[in-house]
Amino acid sequence: MSNVMKEYFLDLDRAAKDPARKVAWCTSVGPAEILRAMGFEVFFPENHGAMLGATRVCMETIPVANAHGYSPEICSYLTSDIGAYMKGITPLTKAFGIKEIPRPDVLVYNTNQCKDVMHWFEYYASEFSAPIFGIHPPTNLPEIKPEYIDDVARQFEALIHFLEPIIGRPMNREALKTTVALSLEATNLWSDVLNLAQATPSPMTFFDSTIYMGPIVVLRGTEIAVKYYKDLLRDLKEKIQENHAAVPEEHKRIYWDGMPVWGRLRDQSNIFKENKACVVASTYCNSWIFSDFDPEDPLPSMARAYIKIFINRNDQYKEDYIERMVRDFKIDGVIFMAARTCPNNSNSSYNLPRKLKDKGIPTIIIDGDLCDLRCYSDEQSTTLIEAFLETI
Amino acid sequence: MAGTEEIYWGVDCGSSEIKVVALDGQGNILLKRKKKTLFPLQDHVRLALAGEDLSPFQNDSSCDIKEGHKIIATGYGRKYISFAHGALTEIKAHFIGVQKQCDLKEAYSIIDIGGQDSKVIAACNNKVDQFVINRKCAAGTGAYIEELGHRLEVPLKDMTELARHNDKELSLNSFCTVFSGQEVIKTLMNGERIENIIYALYSSVVKRVMEMTAITTDIVVFSGGVLEFHPELVNMFARKLKENNANITCILSPNAQYCGAIGAAEYGLKSP
Repeated sequence: MSNVMKEYFLDLDRAAKDPARKVAWCTSVGPAEILRAMGFEVFFPENHGAMLGATRVCMETIPVANAHGYSPEICSYLTSDIGAYMKGITPLTKAFGIKEIPRPDVLVYNTNQCKDVMHWFEYYASEFSAPIFGIHPPTNLPEIKPEYIDDVARQFEALIHFLEPIIGRPMNREALKTTVALSLEATNLWSDVLNLAQATPSPMTFFDSTIYMGPIVVLRGTEIAVKYYKDLLRDLKEKIQENHAAVPEEHKRIYWDGMPVWGRLRDQSNIFKENKACVVASTYCNSWIFSDFDPEDPLPSMARAYIKIFINRNDQYKEDYIERMVRDFKIDGVIFMAARTCPNNSNSSYNLPRKLKDKGIPTIIIDGDLCDLRCYSDEQSTTLIEAFLETI
Repeated sequence: MAGTEEIYWGVDCGSSEIKVVALDGQGNILLKRKKKTLFPLQDHVRLALAGEDLSPFQNDSSCDIKEGHKIIATGYGRKYISFAHGALTEIKAHFIGVQKQCDLKEAYSIIDIGGQDSKVIAACNNKVDQFVINRKCAAGTGAYIEELGHRLEVPLKDMTELARHNDKELSLNSFCTVFSGQEVIKTLMNGERIENIIYALYSSVVKRVMEMTAITTDIVVFSGGVLEFHPELVNMFARKLKENNANITCILSPNAQYCGAIGAAEYGLKSP
């Protein structure tokens, strides 16, 4: 795993220094397949934000962005990342010896998850004087209508026309089919990996999956991601055969809704382990399952896949989805992580936990954040999680 | 533990005070003790547990526990007591403590105001059904009352009496303890009576707790030191609860401040 990510970042660094290669920045659930098929190397600032969170370097960088006018209440991936840029630091240096993030030749965002990514990418477009393109799909959808797919597919076509002069060649439609096919294969393998946690005991936890998910975020559309997930799937199947439990004496099975608290992954993993509880499934890790990709119909299928994501749906869809996960993964209780700076990825604010509770599914809300640990209380969260596990 | 004296200790390591309770093998309360929470925490928990009359320790200097004695810790410091035989959260501890003392058969709710958190626990069928703890900040907790009492230079023990003599129903609006302090100062500068300000402070605590969850049971039990030592706050809670449910029964738990410690000791008694 670490080698896969290391090679990805080292190659990005080489690309950024090579005038013959072009780097595109893309949001994590943006149209990476289009960029890869056209020959761009793709960098995902949200992944960089997660690294800043996991290393807790963000606690030095968020205040810098705050001091320059970016509110502590907005996306802390954004404030972590822009603060790091302002401060001239990146966790890539310590991890891989890379001096700085790759300079973008173009930035492409998709507001299917939130509008903060637009503000974030616009900052860098201005900073690097780089061209920028936004996909603006319909949001908060109860259902996926054909006109929504047409709308977004047309935006993808417009994106291709926008990108062609930047990369200096027309889109090779066969290359796009191949890239979408690779993305589909990787995402289906990722889905298979996550579904292995339906086994009792589970061979992995949500905290493991937040690490395993790296390639499906940053290497969609490549052979590397396909190979990584084939290997991972085989390894995890072996663990199941050996009856290996990620949490020894697994006694309770939990669903995690919302973002991970990146700077507290290990601590939280230990709390669950100590209490013989396994977080077996999550909204977050499942967000990179795009089973609608169709290589024979690339753009409309990408449009469908990228607007269909959980975060872009209405509450009834989310309620039904979590209920289904509870049933399929034999879940004993659902934890909602209410991220202070990510309301779009926090699903506890409009009574969803109580609706599930009324259906007999125990729920609890813990306050926290993806990066900003000022919004997270270790003691209070531990008490809440342990008390929840005591009561279910 | 047959053949030896059985003593079950519960120690509630709260943010303000360490509360200690000992039960005999039949669950009778043998003693209650408390001391201010100081650090190193474990040393002060040891001091709170060790008494001339009854101590779980084999001698004055060690942390070795006598045969037949069992210590269960709860509260925020529960994980820092290496000589404890087990730990449970204050949610479960307060529930067990209330259930043991009040022996309620019906569904009920517990309102517990602690030093740094407020909890509402719904119990039915002899188990915790659900619970909520104050979120994001400590407004509406003991620390909030303490901080504003300090600002007003009013001893905590005098607050209840002052609140009873209000002649106006003032309210404080801020979510934040510090901003509430500013509101208090502004109100004082406008010449407001201290009695009305203490009433407003209590009222603010009631509002914070009542907005945490909708209480749907017909019985509410109050636990925790803050409510034991601020009886008018209990009365105000009761009046507010009756506005929503005229038939509601409100009870201040016996040994309210010690409910968590009693629950921890009882857990030690009942668990293998």
